[in-house]
Amino acid sequence: MQTGRFDRYASVLFALLGAAFLFESRNIADSAYGSEVGPNVFPFLLGLILILLSVKLFIESFKNIKEDQKEQSGLQIKRFVIILIASLLYAACIEYLGYIISTFVFLFVSFQAMDKNSWIKNGCVAAGFSLCVYYLFVVVLKGSLPGQPIWFS
Amino acid sequence: MGVMDFLMQGFQTAIQPQNLFFAFIGVLIGTAVGVLPGIGPMSGVALLIPVTATLTSGMDPSAAATSSIILLAGVYYGAMYGGSTTSILLNTPGESSSVVTTLDGYQMAKQGRAGAALSIAAIGSFFAGIVSIIGLVLLADPLSEMALKFGPAEYFSLMLLGLAAVSGLAGGSITKAWMMTVTGLLLATIGIDAVSGVARFTYDIPVLFGGLEFLTVAVGLFALGEVFKTILHKEEDGEKVAKVGRVLPTKSDLKESAAPIARGSFLGFFIGVLPGAGATLASFFSYIAEKKLSKNPEKFGKGAIEGVAAPESANNAASGGAMIPLLTLGIPGSGTTAILMGALIMYNVQPGPLLFSDHPDVAWGLIASMFIGNLMLLILNMPLVKVFAKIIETPQKFLLPIIIAISVFGVYAVQVTTFDLFLLIGFGLAGYLLAQNDYPLAPLVLGLVLGPMIENNMRRALTTSNGDFFIFIEHPISAFFIICSVLWILVPFILRLKGKNVVINVEG
Repeated sequence: MQTGRFDRYASVLFALLGAAFLFESRNIADSAYGSEVGPNVFPFLLGLILILLSVKLFIESFKNIKEDQKEQSGLQIKRFVIILIASLLYAACIEYLGYIISTFVFLFVSFQAMDKNSWIKNGCVAAGFSLCVYYLFVVVLKGSLPGQPIWFS
Repeated sequence: MGVMDFLMQGFQTAIQPQNLFFAFIGVLIGTAVGVLPGIGPMSGVALLIPVTATLTSGMDPSAAATSSIILLAGVYYGAMYGGSTTSILLNTPGESSSVVTTLDGYQMAKQGRAGAALSIAAIGSFFAGIVSIIGLVLLADPLSEMALKFGPAEYFSLMLLGLAAVSGLAGGSITKAWMMTVTGLLLATIGIDAVSGVARFTYDIPVLFGGLEFLTVAVGLFALGEVFKTILHKEEDGEKVAKVGRVLPTKSDLKESAAPIARGSFLGFFIGVLPGAGATLASFFSYIAEKKLSKNPEKFGKGAIEGVAAPESANNAASGGAMIPLLTLGIPGSGTTAILMGALIMYNVQPGPLLFSDHPDVAWGLIASMFIGNLMLLILNMPLVKVFAKIIETPQKFLLPIIIAISVFGVYAVQVTTFDLFLLIGFGLAGYLLAQNDYPLAPLVLGLVLGPMIENNMRRALTTSNGDFFIFIEHPISAFFIICSVLWILVPFILRLKGKNVVINVEG
């Protein structure tokens, strides 16, 4: 697989990550009671190694740069974006809307994104899953999940 | 007490009703995970950690750890069974260690011998499972005795060797593998430092004080990453599921596959014990070995039963063998065992030499449950092969969003913060992008799990030597490990320079 272009961006990102850890580790106390080596040494060394590795990858990425020929047409960007945004909203709303409502909405939207044709069936599966998980976990196993919002009950 | 007494105690633990139940659920889900293309053993185990954590929440800590590790290990070796099903029926391997099985398995299915291929795979897996468990029983005690003599310097070098082995064999580019390892180690430093109590890279954000939760990272990288990939890339449907037909193998089938099963089991076991070399390599090697040994090698690729029996035995034996370094030394040799180790640590059970003296019920209970689990798999798989073949037809449109929902449920149920949910999605995206561009993910998880231990052992060793780094070379055992890890890095490098193809482990 030709991954030259991605590698170049990635190597810069990883080098930045390494540098961030390297510089930030200087703000950590460098001595610790009972330990010869302070808590800053390990992240400092690792940050340095990560930068060196990134440089190596950056150089290597030029060898593989035979022009990316990946056919982008095969990607299903639309349904991916819908599901990704739905997941983010799901994560953000789970505590406000409660488990059952947020899970139902997330699943229904995602099912619809995958296949628009049978919304009744999709709705049934989504409702079945969220109710079953909630019942099994909260009622049977006595676990805790966000319940229904106040305005709903 | 001798090994047999411990093993008997282990059986007493394993046949408690709830543990039998957990083993059963584990192998059942494991088989399903192996059958479903797209979810491998790694994401399967990662996805089930939160579920087991909630299932066992009412028990006392040690029993909870035993029960959940029994379930998770069941998923691990159950997936090795299940992986063969899709390889044979669909020509699509359910996970990478079953890739070679497709060569002869699918040909057999085309000739109407799918049932025989499936049952030989199940019988071979069972035999291999038993071989590897016996090996585990025999090696566990001497290895942990030896490891008890290790000091911090030896431990540091041993873990370095573990990292070197996994990074050296993972994926196409060693640079990328090492970058993943170092990133994992770096991410592990976030949070309160265990030695000095100093907060590192937390910026006074409360959720960061505990560090990045291993569970969130593993589920994100493996389960969500895989789901995102399948959502983005159009699935190829239309491949017809072959008919299973007669399930019981004929006498001549059994006779022809007996020797390959035995050879595959032993080869697979020893490859599994080596860190870094996992089930995928084991199945490849055993297939090649059978082809070399066979009197008529031209049969291979045209539906030779040996070509199913040997690799399927080898991958199961390897997954059992991989438990040895995990349980006795505390060094996971592969991605899946790293996740199992993370699960044990979540329960405050530290795998390693002390496991057998501190938590004998966990260690021996697990070993005994593997006997029982393998038996269950054999009993389950022979008659239910047709049912499992049906799982393949689960529509993707339901499966993918439900995996996301289960991941969210699992992480939220354990962590109870929305921060971890965003982290989960973030790591899912990262996992997709990295895997898509040949960055192996297993070393990252390994680094994250081993990070705190490597660091603590390094600092303890350096404290005893007053900061002198030569302590790692002055101790003979430690020096030996260091030399091994250097060789592990250098040898493939030199081979590549010479233009030789190096066998790599795709499974991780």
